[in-house]
Amino acid sequence: MADDKTPADDNPYTQTYVVQSGDSLSKIAQKYYGDASLYDKIFQANRDVLKDPNKIQVGQKLRIP
Amino acid sequence: MKKQFTWLLAATMAVLLVGCANNKGPAQQAIAGAESTLAAVRDAAQKYAPDQLQTVDAQLAQVKEQFNRGDYKSVMANIPALNSAIASLKDTASAKQAEAEQAMVKAKDAWGGVSADLPKMVSAIQSRVDVLSKSHHLPKGVTKESLDQAKSGLDAMKSAWSDAQSAASGGDYTTAMSKAQAAKDQGEQIMHSLGMASG
Repeated sequence: MADDKTPADDNPYTQTYVVQSGDSLSKIAQKYYGDASLYDKIFQANRDVLKDPNKIQVGQKLRIP
Repeated sequence: MKKQFTWLLAATMAVLLVGCANNKGPAQQAIAGAESTLAAVRDAAQKYAPDQLQTVDAQLAQVKEQFNRGDYKSVMANIPALNSAIASLKDTASAKQAEAEQAMVKAKDAWGGVSADLPKMVSAIQSRVDVLSKSHHLPKGVTKESLDQAKSGLDAMKSAWSDAQSAASGGDYTTAMSKAQAAKDQGEQIMHSLGMASG
C-alpha cells in the first residue's frame, strides 16, 4: 500500500530524494541539476504529491527526473 | 619346375583376387553405413561441434580414399574407429544442443522481467539527460564532457536494446538477453556518471 508521502507509479530507476528540514524545490534542483531554476522539473514530476511548489514537507519522497 | 611355379603364382593371384573381391562388398557397406549415420547428425554437429565434425570428415575421407585404392583391408581396419568417432560426435552434439536449449529456456524466462525493466531505465536516464541539457550549471561531479558521454552512451544503449528486442522477436532469447545485459551495464555506467546511482 502506497504511503501518501510516496509517489505512486514509480520507476525504480528514477532517483528519489527525501525532503529534509530547510529544503525547497530550488535547493533540491540546485543539488541535482546544478541549476535552481529547474525546480519546476521536480514539481511537475511530483504533481501527484505536491500541489504547490512552495509547499513541501519534511519526509516527503520526491522523484528527481 | 617352371610350369609348377607359374601354376602356383596364378593360384596365389586368384586367391588374392577372390579375397579382395570378398572384402570390397563389406567395405562398401561399412562406408555407406558410416556415411548414413554421419548424415543423420551432420546438421546438429555443424552447429554444436564443428571442429569435431571436421575431424570425423577427415577420417571418413581417408577411409574412402583407401576404398578407392582398393585397400579394403585398411578400410575394414579403420571403420570401427570411424564409427566410434561418429558416435562420440553424436554424443557431443546432443549434449551441447541440450545445453543450448536449456540456456534458451532460461533466457526466455528472464526476458519477461528484463523487457519490462530496461525501458524504465532508458526512460529515467533520458529524463535526466534532458533536464541536465537545460541546466545552466551542471551539478557537482557532472561535467559537460561526462554529459556528452552520457548522451552518446544513451544512444548506444537504445541501439543495444533495439537489437535485443529484434533478437527476442526472432525467438533468439539467448542473444536477446546478452544484448539486454550489455544495454543494462551501459545504463548503470551512465547513471553513475550522472550521479543518479545514489538517493
